[in-house]
Amino acid sequence: MQQHPASARSKLTITIGALAFGAMTALWGTAQAAPATGSLTVAFGAESTTLDPVRISAGVDHYFVGQIFEMLVRRNASLQDENWLAESWKLETGKDGKPVLDVRLRKGVKFHNGDPLTAEDMEFSWQRQRDPKGSFFSHYVSSVERFEIVDAHRFKLHFKEPDAQFLVGNLQLWAMPKKYIQKVGEEEFARKPVGTGPWKFVSRTVKDELKLEAFDDYWNKNKRPGVKTLTIKVIPEDLTRVAAFKTGKVDWIDNVPPSMIEEFRKMPGVKTATLVSGNNLFLNFNTQMPKSPFNDVRVRQAAAHAIDVDAIIKRVLFGQGERYAQVGKGSNGYDPALKPYAYDPKRARELLKQAGYPNGFDTPCYNLTTPREPGVKEVGEAMYAYLSSVGIRCQVRNLEYGAWISLGKRGRSGPPEMDGVLSWMWSQGLPGDPGLAWSGHLHSYQPGGWGTYSYTNDAEVDALIEKQRQTMDPAARTELLKQIARLKHERVLGGLPTYRPLVTFAWREDKVHYVPWPIRDYWRAFQEVSLKQAQ
Amino acid sequence: MSIAKRLLHGLVSILGASVIIFLISRLSGDPLALLLPADAPPDVIEQTRQHLGLDQPLVAQYLKFLGHALTGDFGNSYRWQEPALGLILDRLPATVELALAALAFSIAMAVPFGVLSAVHRGSWFDRFAKVFAMVGQAMPNFWVGLLLILFFAVQLNWLPAFGRESWSSLVLPAIALGWYPVAAQTRIVRSAMLDVLDSDYIRMGRAMGLPERVLVWKYALRNAAIPLVTILGVYFAAMLGGAFVVEVIFAWPGVGRTVVEAVFARDFPVVQAGVMLTSVLFVLSNLLVDLSYSLIDPRIRHG
Amino acid sequence: MADLTAAKTASAADSAIAGAPLRRRGAIAWGTLPWFALLVFPVLIVCALGGELLLPHDPNALDLGIAFLPPAWLDGGNWAYPLGTDNMGRDLLTRIMAGTRISLVVALYAILISGGIGTAAGMLAGYFGGRLDALIMRLVDIQMSIPSLALALVLAAVLGPGFETVVLVIVITYWTWYARIVRGEVMSLKQRDYVALARVAGCGTPTIFRRHLLPNLLNTLLVLATLQVGQVIIFEASLSFLGLGIQQPDVSWGLMLADARNYITNAWWAITMPGLAIMATCLASNLLGDWLRDRFDPKRRQL
Repeated sequence: MQQHPASARSKLTITIGALAFGAMTALWGTAQAAPATGSLTVAFGAESTTLDPVRISAGVDHYFVGQIFEMLVRRNASLQDENWLAESWKLETGKDGKPVLDVRLRKGVKFHNGDPLTAEDMEFSWQRQRDPKGSFFSHYVSSVERFEIVDAHRFKLHFKEPDAQFLVGNLQLWAMPKKYIQKVGEEEFARKPVGTGPWKFVSRTVKDELKLEAFDDYWNKNKRPGVKTLTIKVIPEDLTRVAAFKTGKVDWIDNVPPSMIEEFRKMPGVKTATLVSGNNLFLNFNTQMPKSPFNDVRVRQAAAHAIDVDAIIKRVLFGQGERYAQVGKGSNGYDPALKPYAYDPKRARELLKQAGYPNGFDTPCYNLTTPREPGVKEVGEAMYAYLSSVGIRCQVRNLEYGAWISLGKRGRSGPPEMDGVLSWMWSQGLPGDPGLAWSGHLHSYQPGGWGTYSYTNDAEVDALIEKQRQTMDPAARTELLKQIARLKHERVLGGLPTYRPLVTFAWREDKVHYVPWPIRDYWRAFQEVSLKQAQ
Repeated sequence: MSIAKRLLHGLVSILGASVIIFLISRLSGDPLALLLPADAPPDVIEQTRQHLGLDQPLVAQYLKFLGHALTGDFGNSYRWQEPALGLILDRLPATVELALAALAFSIAMAVPFGVLSAVHRGSWFDRFAKVFAMVGQAMPNFWVGLLLILFFAVQLNWLPAFGRESWSSLVLPAIALGWYPVAAQTRIVRSAMLDVLDSDYIRMGRAMGLPERVLVWKYALRNAAIPLVTILGVYFAAMLGGAFVVEVIFAWPGVGRTVVEAVFARDFPVVQAGVMLTSVLFVLSNLLVDLSYSLIDPRIRHG
Repeated sequence: MADLTAAKTASAADSAIAGAPLRRRGAIAWGTLPWFALLVFPVLIVCALGGELLLPHDPNALDLGIAFLPPAWLDGGNWAYPLGTDNMGRDLLTRIMAGTRISLVVALYAILISGGIGTAAGMLAGYFGGRLDALIMRLVDIQMSIPSLALALVLAAVLGPGFETVVLVIVITYWTWYARIVRGEVMSLKQRDYVALARVAGCGTPTIFRRHLLPNLLNTLLVLATLQVGQVIIFEASLSFLGLGIQQPDVSWGLMLADARNYITNAWWAITMPGLAIMATCLASNLLGDWLRDRFDPKRRQL
């Protein structure tokens, strides 16, 4: 067809215009995913013992693992659950009445070595996580009896019984690269981990530092780091960490010591963020020995009234603690009607008298000295002093972490017995769900899993805890949790809640833009961090 | 005692030490509670126990430990899944650095004090030095460390208090560790100097008209140095042991601190590797000192 | 150990320094009396024996409202709390006085037991010689090849912290001192005529030990024991500082220092005062021990 010259020209213009427009969009698109630049050095107060998700044994292990690996669902900066590696998921009931989780994987997610994320990787991850030979928490995924791959981006988890903890725990599965692990083996994988997270592993020196690099092909183009290299230094000593920040060696620090928070807030150019750390501290009482005074609920209530927790938080922790009745504010099962026991030493003495101890009684009181949370030792000493002042005369026994864990664990044969009061902690996570914690310290001890650190034995509460574990409907479960909380509160079971520690991070505002993101139940994710000037 | 016999004794000592340390660390408690999550089910606990070989009888465990140790394999740290010996050896340079610096500090203090006390025997300086040394010997090294931190780091902010960043981080820990031997070393230098200054050798030099200063600092000191040098080996060994607490206070990344942490974490492999290494160094230093004694003074050599 | 060998050479020097006056046996040279020790020890003993009656406050009474009070002579101080308070509002003077008791009791037990065991071992080794001697000395060597603090750490981790553990650990560490020195003394005493005579006369070994050896050892033992008080107190303080020694509600100076370390920037007095107590006690013990040693026989090279 013969083109009219004029229309050919206008066609050309249109084509050029279209090309230009296309180029601009393409440029704009790449500008959005512009490669990260600059480097940032930060300091943590503790470090992970492992880089392999299946060997996570304590909260602290998430600090490193969570930078490199991701899960199907994620809590975001506002502590809301967001579909993460899972584009969508649905809970259905299978033909046999058992629950089935239908998950659709997000497309276009890549591992750090370039492999694409597929359902096969998730199945491999599930196999790894459920094998007790390699995994420390195989019981978290043991309720899934079959993994069905529907296609490369869709799979179904067939549960053998309902498991609410699966949903609470972000669908429990970490994305691990099947081909890579099969190629290099487990040990090499633990040394050079590969995940889908925003940070790529570069190197690690134990007790010194972890070096990470921003992953250019990271799937989440909106929430991603803008810094190219991140060096996480490990400085457990408070004063050293603070000194490192003040001298400029690091530009972000973890866990500002409570006594220095005021100073940090006043520092020019420094921004701080104080957040609930997700740990829950409480005092546990021995109720499994037949002659224990704590068998009587009035004695436990007396203990609850005897301690002025608010004063302790204010004086000993410099205000860095939040009281909670049974379940923290914002957590699942939170009931604003439940208020912590009021400080009332007179009432405490009366209750003791009613229970048959007009002159009080002596009891060993075990205190943790290792600062798993700031000031734990001093808080314990203060609490025991309050107890002593109403007649529950504490013979304080200080224990370092190893001995403390040993003492608290049920199911050991032989001494020592936990025969008094024990200060304990069990994280309910962020924003908080007491399910797992209560299974461990509220449900009575039964060999095989329940009550691993529990000194309580209440059949009604036991039944409710087992029921909530099987209730996958969130609303119904929340009701159950509230019920349990009420009983727990009235009867002072599973310990007396004291406080949730607050943690403060500090960074140089003129240099660093940082938004706190959680990793599972703990803070310290560097999901959104960038440098304000070109470095 | 011949060198061979001494070596044999040293070897027996180290072997005995290994048994003691092995037994004791095994008795210090179950590491599994610290390695696993709080709600780990029994089968995971069993698996880990078998994996770490903790279910074997003690004798079997010891023999296995010994066999591997002879090849330099102390197993993997329970906590860090890295070779235990590697973790210790990585930190050995830091401890050696600290011990040497402390030694250097103590000599730098002891020699001038000792010499001047001897030269000005009976004077106020002599008495002052003696008192100073006595007081110094009564102060625990970790307290000295804390005071140094308080004064130089916190109040004056002159020197770093923790970690091993630059050469200036070495100053305070070295002083804290090297403080204690200053007293004894001063006394040694002083008495050796007194002996030498009285000798014919020096008297002749004086008669020949050599200036006193040269006599003291060049000739007399050389002779006085001998007993000091022989004792240095002993002190170096002592510093290795004393470094534990100082390292903890100053967060110095050395062997001592690592062992202390490992003890608390029930990390047996690291405790074993650390203590064994320190013992070997200890024994070697003492061996060297014994040897140098007999070399320098044939009278001390005994059969 | 380093201190021993150093002490060997140092005492020779010391005796040279001590000067003529002491050579006159029996005469008391008032100028050389260890005044400091004679002042300090009674104070310590009174504190220890006086118990709760003498304490101005309850050492464990918390009062968060008066935390971090500086010493009374400073701004903000209060004469009811002369040396200030710690982070929990406990009176420092009271705690130091309470700590005196524990420290001295630990020292007493430790010295008596380690002295007893060490002396027995030394006597057996020195008197019988041969296999027994070799065995005992081998044990001593093995023990001494493990740095004392490392051994203490591991032991304390096994046995759990506390008073008994501290005593046990100190006993295990220090018996070797006595064993070695007593062995040397006994070996030379063995040669004396009256011992040979006693043997010929048919005296049984226990009698010889009791009647002939022990009385001659008493002087040495007394000096050793006195010198050891300071050492033991520092050792216990180190252990408590690390968290493996004395525990709450008992008060120990080392424990006080460990607590104070955490708030070193807020309360310098909490670090200084307990340390001064340690220093004073140790200095007193050293001075008294040195004086006793010089008084008994300045020529003694063993010490």
